[in-house]
Amino acid sequence: MTPWLMAGLLFTPLAWAVLTLLVNFNRGRLISWLGILVQVVVSLGLWAAVAGDGGFHYQLGGWPAPLGIELRVDGLAVTFVLLTALVAAACGWHASIYLDPAKAWHRYFWPLFWFLWAGLNGVWLGGDLFNLYVGLELISLSAVGLVALGGESAALRAAIRYLMAALLGSLAYLLGVALIYGQFGSLSIAGVSRLLGEAGTAPGQTLPLLLMLFGLTLKTALFPMHGWLPPAHGIARSPVSALLSALVVKASFYIAARIWLDLGGYLGSYGLAQLIGGLGAIAVIWGSWRALWQAKLKQVVAYSSVAQIGYLFLLFPLTWGVAEPVSLQAQQGITLQIISHALAKAAMFLAAGNLIMSVGSNRVDALAGVSRFLPFSLFSFGLAGVSLMGLPPSGGFAAKWLLLQSSLASGQWWWLPVLLAGGLLSAAYVFRVYRASFMERAGTDRFFHPSRSLEVIPMILALLSLGLGLVAGPVLSVMVLPFGEGGGQ
Amino acid sequence: MSLASLLPVFALMTSLLAAVIIFTLPERSFRLRTLVNLGAAVIKLVLVGVMIWGIVQGRAYEVAFTMVPGVRFVLRADALSMLFAGLSALLWLLTTIYAVGYLEGSPNRSRFFGFFSLSVASTMGIALAGNLFTFFLFYEMLTLSTYPLVVHRGTPKALRAGRSYIIYTLCGGAVLLLAIAWLHGLVGDLSFRPGGYFAEVEDALRGPLSLIFVLLVAGLGVKAALVPLHGWLPQAMVAPAPVSALLHAVAVVKAGAFGIVRVVLEIYGLDAASDLGLLAGLAGVAAFTIIYGSARALYQVDLKRLLAFSTVSQVSYIILGLCLFGPVGVAGGLVHLVHQGIMKITLFFCAGNYAETLGVHRIDELDGAGERMPATSVAFTLGAFGMIGVPPLAGFTTKWIMGTGALAVGMDWVVVVLVVSSLLNAAYFLPILHRIWFGERQAAWPQERRWGRLETSAWLLWPALITAVLLILAGLLANLPVSPLSWVELIVAREVAL
Amino acid sequence: MFESASFVLFAVTLPFASLLLALRSGLQRAYCYSLPVLPLPALMIALLSDPGWLLSLPGLLHGGLWGMDDLRRAFLLLTAMLWLAAGVFALGYMKGYLKADNLRRFCVFWALTLAGNLGLTIAEDIASFYGFFALMTFAAYGLVVHEGTDEANRAGRVYLVMAVGGEMAILAGLLMAAQLAGSDLLADLPATIAGAEQRGLIMLLLLAGFGVKAGLPLLHFWLPLAHPVAPTPASAVLSGAMIKAGLLGWLVTLPFGEVSLPGWGDLLVIVGAVGSLGGAVLGLRQQQPKTVLAYSSISQMGFITLMVGAALASADVVVTLFAVMALFALHHGLAKGSLFLATAMTLPRSRIGQWLMWLLVALPGLSLAGLPFTSGAVAKLAMKEVLKPDHFAFAAAPYLPALMSAGAVATMLLVWRFLWLQRAVGKIGRNPVAMWVGWGLSLAGSLILFWYLPWHGAVPEKTWPTAITGEAWSLIWPILMATLMAAVAPRSVRQR
Repeated sequence: MTPWLMAGLLFTPLAWAVLTLLVNFNRGRLISWLGILVQVVVSLGLWAAVAGDGGFHYQLGGWPAPLGIELRVDGLAVTFVLLTALVAAACGWHASIYLDPAKAWHRYFWPLFWFLWAGLNGVWLGGDLFNLYVGLELISLSAVGLVALGGESAALRAAIRYLMAALLGSLAYLLGVALIYGQFGSLSIAGVSRLLGEAGTAPGQTLPLLLMLFGLTLKTALFPMHGWLPPAHGIARSPVSALLSALVVKASFYIAARIWLDLGGYLGSYGLAQLIGGLGAIAVIWGSWRALWQAKLKQVVAYSSVAQIGYLFLLFPLTWGVAEPVSLQAQQGITLQIISHALAKAAMFLAAGNLIMSVGSNRVDALAGVSRFLPFSLFSFGLAGVSLMGLPPSGGFAAKWLLLQSSLASGQWWWLPVLLAGGLLSAAYVFRVYRASFMERAGTDRFFHPSRSLEVIPMILALLSLGLGLVAGPVLSVMVLPFGEGGGQ
Repeated sequence: MSLASLLPVFALMTSLLAAVIIFTLPERSFRLRTLVNLGAAVIKLVLVGVMIWGIVQGRAYEVAFTMVPGVRFVLRADALSMLFAGLSALLWLLTTIYAVGYLEGSPNRSRFFGFFSLSVASTMGIALAGNLFTFFLFYEMLTLSTYPLVVHRGTPKALRAGRSYIIYTLCGGAVLLLAIAWLHGLVGDLSFRPGGYFAEVEDALRGPLSLIFVLLVAGLGVKAALVPLHGWLPQAMVAPAPVSALLHAVAVVKAGAFGIVRVVLEIYGLDAASDLGLLAGLAGVAAFTIIYGSARALYQVDLKRLLAFSTVSQVSYIILGLCLFGPVGVAGGLVHLVHQGIMKITLFFCAGNYAETLGVHRIDELDGAGERMPATSVAFTLGAFGMIGVPPLAGFTTKWIMGTGALAVGMDWVVVVLVVSSLLNAAYFLPILHRIWFGERQAAWPQERRWGRLETSAWLLWPALITAVLLILAGLLANLPVSPLSWVELIVAREVAL
Repeated sequence: MFESASFVLFAVTLPFASLLLALRSGLQRAYCYSLPVLPLPALMIALLSDPGWLLSLPGLLHGGLWGMDDLRRAFLLLTAMLWLAAGVFALGYMKGYLKADNLRRFCVFWALTLAGNLGLTIAEDIASFYGFFALMTFAAYGLVVHEGTDEANRAGRVYLVMAVGGEMAILAGLLMAAQLAGSDLLADLPATIAGAEQRGLIMLLLLAGFGVKAGLPLLHFWLPLAHPVAPTPASAVLSGAMIKAGLLGWLVTLPFGEVSLPGWGDLLVIVGAVGSLGGAVLGLRQQQPKTVLAYSSISQMGFITLMVGAALASADVVVTLFAVMALFALHHGLAKGSLFLATAMTLPRSRIGQWLMWLLVALPGLSLAGLPFTSGAVAKLAMKEVLKPDHFAFAAAPYLPALMSAGAVATMLLVWRFLWLQRAVGKIGRNPVAMWVGWGLSLAGSLILFWYLPWHGAVPEKTWPTAITGEAWSLIWPILMATLMAAVAPRSVRQR
């Protein structure tokens, strides 16, 4: 059964991308609903298979590496596959109602959407550096295209800026990959790691790591290379922003994390780990601080992404040179952070889109008095905010808890204030929005209620993110599942 | 897992479900909303009653599962949790009745009652939490669900108050989280247990444990309004009266105080906490808060603001009682948890009645209110005398027990604190009472509404009268086996006298 | 049957139950008419039940215990009788003097003060004693400020400040004593305090706390302000009955009969002397009849303080002294109540009627001064009997007889001053019947019924008429001397 699942997972998106390219928006919508259903079922099936029997390696088409494409299907990968299915399905569903079919260029949404999905699945499952690059490029290009869908000149400007950053990042990464191949003759991460373990490190080997990490962190918008993210995420249509913030930036981080965990032990250093962690910490504070002062609702959410992504980079210091359980705790924390941020941020962008649609303005202060109409979306926004603040019982809280624990256990107490202050600052910007909605002002009697399904989608995502903390145990237990057979080559 | 052991979950769910249902109800369905509200409140009261009965019989109710690796989510009903749960279940019912009357005809009622039920659910969770982690979970949930209540009116003043509230409580929450995480990293998951864990402390742990205790108290002290962390409370009184009543009497400040009780009694243990020299410091802070709150109350012109400062002062009695190193003092502190709740809710109900019926907010507008609203004024008078500590009202029982407890352990200065605080209480309450009963009404009431035969709406009047009767009974019949005092003595017998 | 639990509970709760009449403004008149009924059951208990009964109420407060012994019986008698007479008087007084819209409020505070005053007399456990005491204290405020004038409000404020201070002193003292005793019963306190390390502090707190009520010098400021401004029937009970609650507080808490404390004896004798003579001096300078009476109360309480001092100083005469104090309290309460009530009476038209009226007004006053064959003569003689210096060993003891004589002169002077002022304000007119009855009751109580009331069992046995005849001169000369001074003094003042 597994081959069918794998085939479905990787080829459905590509096939659908081609299919939808041929038809207009409305037909694309119908076709895509079918495709989304298939994808969700397949993702669930794969997750169930791995949860039941453990992970495995899979040679695409039966050819072994280096000729064929080798996929590593472990607990972590399938968790992200499932997450992608959930979030992408929600965003796709939302977009199918939210986007205006009358605008001609919207018909390109569906093909780009499916290419993006294909790329994401490729990255989660990819086992060697070059395949990962391919996935990454696929993601970047379709993401740029999606941003440009906004249609306005500002959207195009943001898209171009994004494209430049993405290309620069890809180039740096590719250079690193080339150097690695030159030195080790292998592109498989596991293979390089084994070689390093046998032969030990030689001088000059750190450079490729640095190059790869630079490229990837640029794509992940780590401070101070975050400048491209807020315009792009802020200007894109809401479902697109949701996809970008929830999934796209996570893909490059995922690669960086895999490289770091497998190779960082040999090629990295304490200083490097601390530097990246420190930049992440600054991102947490700086991003939240900027979010607090944005006038536009979606810019608030976009800067919040910069901050939340900053947390992820605490993975680097907290896994370098610490005891195995502490490192595991940090990894679990970061994984939870990725999942909960993906769910919460998607919910937040979708809800923000609904709110903007309701009040007819994208400014925060236009929300005055909105809470009187008891909009579902505002509630979803708030629930998602709870997760971003890291308050219980959300997944964000569970993540923060694990990070706190591992900071304490590793003796790196200087991350504690970052974690706590980040939570408080995110509370500040979430409550700023809430506060605006509670303001009573004369003449705010017009309120357009979006259709029920538009409102339900962010609510489901927000509730999932909120409830994640309660089921964090089971979720994490799937993620740490070992491979069924021995490691890759 | 038997059905009975799920009782705590059901008790939690009643108000949670009520919240969900109310959020989905349209604004105009007044009857249905009231029915759901009151029905849930009554069911919860019954459930709590069943649990109390079970605990008297020696049964225990516990539900637990693992949330995050190494951390369990525990809901448990024990004697101590029932003290708080019983109080909040009872006062929730009354406050709901009151709120229905208070908000009649005003906008945004669905939103209000939804968040109202959510905050009660959080309070219930705080009462039933079986370990620090679960406690923290509901503690933060309380913060979030009370914010919309504080800013309910949407005026700039309310929004300012809400901002200050949220800043204080979230910062407190962050500190608390740090402390809990640290403690967890140090010694693992700690369920609340009578007698605590640190009867014998290794020397190496003394420093961290003391520091953690300070952090815990600082985090909890924000909600308990310990000076200097009390700044949000007097501002939060801009909220509608039932909210103030709930915040001051049951939910927020009590959550903080209850948390400190749990930490002192069931995490550190009374002996260990005093052994580490922590209680003496806490006692000092509590004593200062008692005096400071009363002294500030003396200078207020707004009735609800005065009551807020009075709360600052009164809640610290609970904490001071804990610090008296002995079973008697602990009993005094714990029983004040209930007594202060009943007294303060009465006072806030009455203040709300004055505001709603006569449009009176300032103390100097109260002249002659006794003539116009005798029943409300009687309730207010009883509440005020209870606060002063006049027998046979509930406040006296507390003061008397705390006083004897303090003397028994040689902390004579506590009696001075009690006396000074009572004097200050008298100094700010008695002039109000004079105005109410003996003031000459010169002008018309600022904004008078009439309700036919009764002095005010029956929804507003009865809750105040019921709590007033309760505050007499709690003191007058303190020795009966059904009184709060007897329940507290049961707790103390299980907790301290091990 | 009168000491049965149900009847005692009925007697105590009746004033509370009467509050139900305040619920409807239509019942206002009915409420007024119920005022004299409220103390009746308590009066029956005092008259008809034998001392020594106890009633245990385990659920009440920290375990309630009520009861009546000889001492409490005297106080209960006084309290109930005076409240009864004043209650009847109030019926008439309210018609003439009180604003109709405030009647209900007056009745409520009346009933509450009454409940407190009666309850504290029979309470034998600390919590209910203190509770009733506080109830009386705070409810009496309503009576003091009832008129609503600036003067009344000022008096009320002073009263309240001092009363609350007193309450707190009592609370602290009781707390310390109760904690040491490990008991909630008043009966256990004296022995505990006697042996306590902090005896001095506890005694000081209790003396001062109850002393506020009893009008001790320096703690008395409220008294001449508050007693006169209250409506007349309220003044009567304030000065006659409630002032004695402070005394009762002393008698049931301080360590009498456990140890002899000569130092405290000296102190209290000095305080008492200052009170009795200083009160009189200040009283002579007053311009209002009721204020003079209030100072007279301070002065009379000074006499009782002398006895309290003596009782503290020597443990072995305590029983007799208690009896005499109870007798003195009974005498003074009835006489003072009658005098206060008289201030509101108008004079009849006919000259004979006026003379008769003046005689009746003056008689309780003369009784205070110890006129033979009045209650005052009995009280004075009994006091003299027990305060003989050879009974005592403390330093101030030898001065006691002189002090008593000086006090008698001072008392009589005050009575003259009162009569003089009262004549100046006395009006001619008709009195409501109820006022006649109420005043008459108090007068009868003071002059006649006093002889038939059950006195404290330990009062020295004597055939009183004979004894009075024998001591007539010693009783009369202070009166004569004071009269002479009163006759001369105004002239000498005028001549200057």
